[in-house]
Amino acid sequence: MIVAERKPLEEIESMLKGYRRVLTVGCGTCVAVCLAGGEKEVGILNAELQIARKLDENPIELGAACVERQCDMEFLDELQGMVDQYDAILSMACGAGVQFMAERFEDVPVFPAVDTTFIGANRDVGWYEEKCRACGTCVLGMTAGICPVTMCAKGLFNGPCGGTNNGYCEIGNDQPCAWYRIYERLARQGRLEQIMEIHPANEWRNQTPRTLVQAAYRKRKELAAS
Amino acid sequence: MTAKLETAMEQIEIATGVLVVGGGMTGVATALEVARQGYPVTLIEAGEKVGPAAESRPRTGLPDARRLQDMAARLAQTDGIEVLTATRLDAAAGVAGDFKVWLSTAEDVLERRVGAIVVATEFDTAPLYDGYGLTPGGAVIGQSELEQRLAGDPGSFSGKTVAFVAGFAQSGNPMVMQRIFHCVKALQDAGAAGVYVYVGDLKVADDGLEREYRTGRDRGAIYFKLKEAPAIAASGAQVVIGFHDPVVRQQIEVTADCLVVEESLGVGAQCADLAAILRIDIGPRGFLQSDNIYRFPVATNREGIFVAGASREVRSLPWALADARNAALQVAEVLGDGTRLVPRDKAVVDIGKCTFCLTCYRCCPHGAIYWLSENKPVISPVACQACGICASECPMDAIQIGGFTDDLIRGQIAAKLAQVNGDPAIVAFCCQNSALPAGEMAATFRMSVPAGLRTIQVPCAGKIDLQYILDAFVSGADGVLVMACHPGNCKSERGNTYASWRVEDAQRLIAGAGLEPERLRFATLAANMGTDFKAIVVDMDQKIRELGKSRLH
Ligand code: SF4
Ligand code: SF4
Ligand code: SF4
Ligand code: SF4
Repeated sequence: MIVAERKPLEEIESMLKGYRRVLTVGCGTCVAVCLAGGEKEVGILNAELQIARKLDENPIELGAACVERQCDMEFLDELQGMVDQYDAILSMACGAGVQFMAERFEDVPVFPAVDTTFIGANRDVGWYEEKCRACGTCVLGMTAGICPVTMCAKGLFNGPCGGTNNGYCEIGNDQPCAWYRIYERLARQGRLEQIMEIHPANEWRNQTPRTLVQAAYRKRKELAAS
Repeated sequence: MTAKLETAMEQIEIATGVLVVGGGMTGVATALEVARQGYPVTLIEAGEKVGPAAESRPRTGLPDARRLQDMAARLAQTDGIEVLTATRLDAAAGVAGDFKVWLSTAEDVLERRVGAIVVATEFDTAPLYDGYGLTPGGAVIGQSELEQRLAGDPGSFSGKTVAFVAGFAQSGNPMVMQRIFHCVKALQDAGAAGVYVYVGDLKVADDGLEREYRTGRDRGAIYFKLKEAPAIAASGAQVVIGFHDPVVRQQIEVTADCLVVEESLGVGAQCADLAAILRIDIGPRGFLQSDNIYRFPVATNREGIFVAGASREVRSLPWALADARNAALQVAEVLGDGTRLVPRDKAVVDIGKCTFCLTCYRCCPHGAIYWLSENKPVISPVACQACGICASECPMDAIQIGGFTDDLIRGQIAAKLAQVNGDPAIVAFCCQNSALPAGEMAATFRMSVPAGLRTIQVPCAGKIDLQYILDAFVSGADGVLVMACHPGNCKSERGNTYASWRVEDAQRLIAGAGLEPERLRFATLAANMGTDFKAIVVDMDQKIRELGKSRLH
């Protein structure tokens, strides 16, 4: 899932300085699960803003909403009737949600209330670990389920490098060496020979924003485009 | 009121089977007691045998050995008891009244549905050779080994000199001494030539121990109570034990054929796994229970799961057997006649709002939440204690607690702050287990509390939502008090901890928004502390007067 972190109040306040009526919209999926932008966070952020603006003698009128997913237009439609009453939207979704919101309501300024941080997994309540960089060429099959793009400081596809140090990465002893772990797990599974296969370097240059159409839906997209 | 309550109740069916884990005497006694009350029992034991053979207390000289054998034999003759040896608890799911457990036997994995679980495992022993700088072998053996030899071939000790060392490598425990006393008796019966016991920290505060000690001594056993461990020189088949006697001012040396080293009586190896499988809390020394003044001795943080005997503390057998009876009574309390009336709205999940983040499941200190693949999280009305921790942590505000819904509490906050007069308006969120009765006590004794104090009752400090605290400030409170039980005294284990974290977080938030963080305070107290309640609120009033009125009025 996408993991995000609430922006500091100060930053949000400065974005909203000139606006008096703001609609705060939570997203009920990824950012709710990572406790950054669900319905509860909307209420808390609004209370903070209300206190701060009142103390600044620049009171603000705040609306609250939370949609299932801001990265689906259909859910954004639910806000249709509400948006006109506000002069700005504060989106608590990830960057994808914020952009879809801005696209859906083009006449209204949309501001992000969270910093989208990474694709991660939930270790415990409020504790997330980055697991994937969305590189577009998943190599987990040959790396024993450990992502070298995310976990290796150099993002090596053929490791380890010479800096591997008793299980830790040369950048420091807090950081496990990804390739050491890959080696250990491949060995444990009896498929160590796979580490000898050379994986061609990924083409990182000139990357453009990606669009993904699931195979089963390509026809559907063509139809929509025509 | 009563009629209204009744309509909000529903009757649910409860599984009446009981799983007992551990086949030592505590487990056997629990199984027999539970079966006597008419509930079917499955007793599992990791080893090959149940009864005295699975008992971790001394195998030698067990008082009433016959009686214990008979007890174990009654298992087979009692209807409704299923005994599975070489069997372990693999996994468990569900809640009180409806647990599903998976038991792995040598050949198979069996599934059972039970309403309650009793953990009655034994403790583990380990000889403390290191504590005496000794290596096992030759004349140096551990207490358990001696007990085994005495049980197998007591005659081999005839004419031998045996010495014991205890209470130097660990602090004394009456059970350690009891094992020694039993062996002293067995050695004397077997015709040993001499028995010497060197003890550091001697503890005999348990049923009949003092008498056992005297009997052994009267029959010729010699006890030395020393400040430091004696010097021990082991050479092959013999050991020389020496120390300087300050009274007679001379070195006293004994040559023994066998030196018996005391053993630690530690938490059973299975306990950590069982705690993880059953999601029950572990106490400071690894035993299966955290201290909680609100609970019966055999209860755990989870309804329907009990711990008896050495799974929670190492003490004498009579104590463990009493624990077993206790556990059986508690089981009957939960299972009743197989039905139970529960409030419909104790804690309700709004499935439409829920995003299935598992936060509630992870936070519930009572393990009352589980989930069904088609139905998202479910809160068991039997296991739930209505503390509200889950409701306050849910990122979608999808959980409501009966009698304490968000609407009700937020409505109260707004209503209580609708009119703010000259005195500082202080909102005190009071846990009904501690601060609320303490406040009532202050009122009963006519202690004067600040005029602007407004108390709001919560079922547990864990129910005090970050939003409530901020709401109070937005609505014009000059100060907010969050009052919880003392550390370690929360009925719901961690409600006070969550509350203290939220207060810290809220302080950070209000400071960021420009409000003095001192306007918010976390305090803990006990139900009988009326004077402290008064002191806390008066102090807060004082502080607010110094800070002045909130600029949010
Ligand atoms: S908008 Fe972002 S945070 Fe919300 S569901 Fe979509 S990807 Fe997740
Ligand atoms: S030490 Fe390991 S993790 Fe660090 S850069 Fe080298 S291969 Fe990557
Ligand atoms: S905490 Fe709330 S949103 Fe998360 S699973 Fe529980 S009820 Fe659903
Ligand atoms: S109210 Fe408390 S006991 Fe009940 S489900 Fe929520 S956290 Fe668990």
